[in-house]
Amino acid sequence: MTRRELLRALGTSALLAGPAASGPAGASQNTPRAGGGVPHQVGVSACPSYDREALLEAVRAGWRLSRPPDVRGKRVVLKPNIADFLLDRPIHTDARLVEAIVIHLKSLGAAGIVIAEGPPHDRDSESLFRRTGFEALAERQGLRLVDLNYDDTRLVKNANARATRLREFHVPATILAADVLISVPKMKTHRLAGVTLGLKNMFGILPGIVYGWPKNVLHWNGIPQSICDINGTVKPSFVLIDGIVGMEGYGPILGSARKAGVLVMSANALAADATAARIMGIEPARVEYLAMAQRARLGSLRPQDISVAGERLSDVRTDFALEPEYAYLRAPKN
Amino acid sequence: MISSEPRSRTLDFLRASENPDGGWGYRPGGSSAAEPSAFAAMALLAGGGTEAAGRGLAFLRGCRDASGGMGLAPGASSGGWMAYAGLLAFHTFGAEAEAARLADWILKLEDASSRFSSADIAAIARTYRYDASIPGWSWTPGATAWIEPTAQFILALAKAGVPPSNARLVAGVKLIIDRAAPSSGGWNFGNPFSKAHELAATPLSTAIALTGLAAAGAAEDLPAVARGLRFLERSLEGDLSTVVLGWTLVALRGYRSRAELIPRVAARLEGLSRPDGSYRGNPFESALAYLALVNAPSLVPQAGKRAGEERP
Repeated sequence: MTRRELLRALGTSALLAGPAASGPAGASQNTPRAGGGVPHQVGVSACPSYDREALLEAVRAGWRLSRPPDVRGKRVVLKPNIADFLLDRPIHTDARLVEAIVIHLKSLGAAGIVIAEGPPHDRDSESLFRRTGFEALAERQGLRLVDLNYDDTRLVKNANARATRLREFHVPATILAADVLISVPKMKTHRLAGVTLGLKNMFGILPGIVYGWPKNVLHWNGIPQSICDINGTVKPSFVLIDGIVGMEGYGPILGSARKAGVLVMSANALAADATAARIMGIEPARVEYLAMAQRARLGSLRPQDISVAGERLSDVRTDFALEPEYAYLRAPKN
Repeated sequence: MISSEPRSRTLDFLRASENPDGGWGYRPGGSSAAEPSAFAAMALLAGGGTEAAGRGLAFLRGCRDASGGMGLAPGASSGGWMAYAGLLAFHTFGAEAEAARLADWILKLEDASSRFSSADIAAIARTYRYDASIPGWSWTPGATAWIEPTAQFILALAKAGVPPSNARLVAGVKLIIDRAAPSSGGWNFGNPFSKAHELAATPLSTAIALTGLAAAGAAEDLPAVARGLRFLERSLEGDLSTVVLGWTLVALRGYRSRAELIPRVAARLEGLSRPDGSYRGNPFESALAYLALVNAPSLVPQAGKRAGEERP
């Protein structure tokens, strides 16, 4: 067994030494640019708390700044991250934020909104959805809440297929039926992947009845590789990252709360993730799967390709604590 | 014991949610899948309805693949964890030839343990504090073994008459005991630790683990079993889901020392039944609840008996 295979099986990067990708393209300040000619637009809005009015204002502001999809008359699926629930740890996307997004989407004329997630470890999604507040949110807003782990699926050819051995994915019907798919992750460090943001959140669309709890077959195929192939096959229309209170250290479950006070939004998942990583004080090109995603043409990490509107990154940068084996991800301060 | 009217309504719901292909999905109208079909068929058979149950059995036969395993649905590319439910159903229906072939396939199903070197095993022991050399069962062939598929395969194999002395069952029991959460007792999906952090046990994994251990005849005074039972008992103080109450009732019936909890758990579970007799409108959960409430020998380990010693 190779070292990398072991890491996949272990589900840990504890043994991984040194950067997986070198030569950061633009480790310096990501300066806001004028939109003309820049491939990707990212909106960063300040949001100091999960107070309802603050959330609504920040969602509206970020949405305007980030080339959002047209949702009028569309079926929208919101995919939060509900990796687990522990009372004292900010593991999951906050349901209050998702409710603010729902209210915003309704105001824009979305024809139907579904909240969908396939929790990775615990098959007891009834409890998870209840304890995280998503069950009550769905009832209040009159929405369907779908456990993707048990959804009907269709086989979709792996559009990338260069990274993993997986020739196809079993994709839930709920995801395939969406006109607009919005990935709504929590801003977190990740003990296996470095960070978990919009792209990594897409792991959760794949159903447990096919991939297991945890979705270990994806680990065995390589976490960075699987992230790239999933996102190459099912592209989210929009990413909205919950960075109001994120998780640092030994994430994505057992880390500590870290307040960054921002929402990060983009129609390009890689640009959103790169920007969120910079806010976390992480050089995105050093995150293996982000660099791989750029090579797979899922977008660009380069600051000159990303126009950031709203908050200046230098103003909102909040260095998230990194486990020692991920110290190499730290971006230099300007 | 469940009162007759809700029992009848649950069976009505299952009959009404059967798909034209003879199987059941995880929701009415959802694609038929092996696990809900096996449980619905067993529930209907336990309730005396042989016609729809027979169609469910036929659907399960169609889920078998060329290798002798069972996939998610007919035509699935390869078999996996859902074969436990198929084996339970084949045995319950007396389809012993199919049961024997599927049991044989399950016994040969390999997880990742044989691929680990001694260095790998040492590294896993440092990080997760379990013994990766112990074979169990994974969700998908060749991947890492986890608690729930291991316990469910033990249950199905034991019910089908594979003796607890079988080396795979012995190893499976060893794996479950090895991965118990040290502080709280009980089990989570299968990692007791992650580096320095202890991971919390969860009620569902604990209930399923205890079910598998009971089927294999694990003694109640075995420390891991006793601690798991205490964890489950403590969990009953909180809000629990349908599937947790269902598996908890199944597990508790396998242990004499917790018999006094059974009426309370049964009443809580029965209280979740909807007016249409379903549990959350979910055929699998409805069938699980029914089988647990009627103490169906097709699923429920009997206290003080190894599964192979039971008489339906």
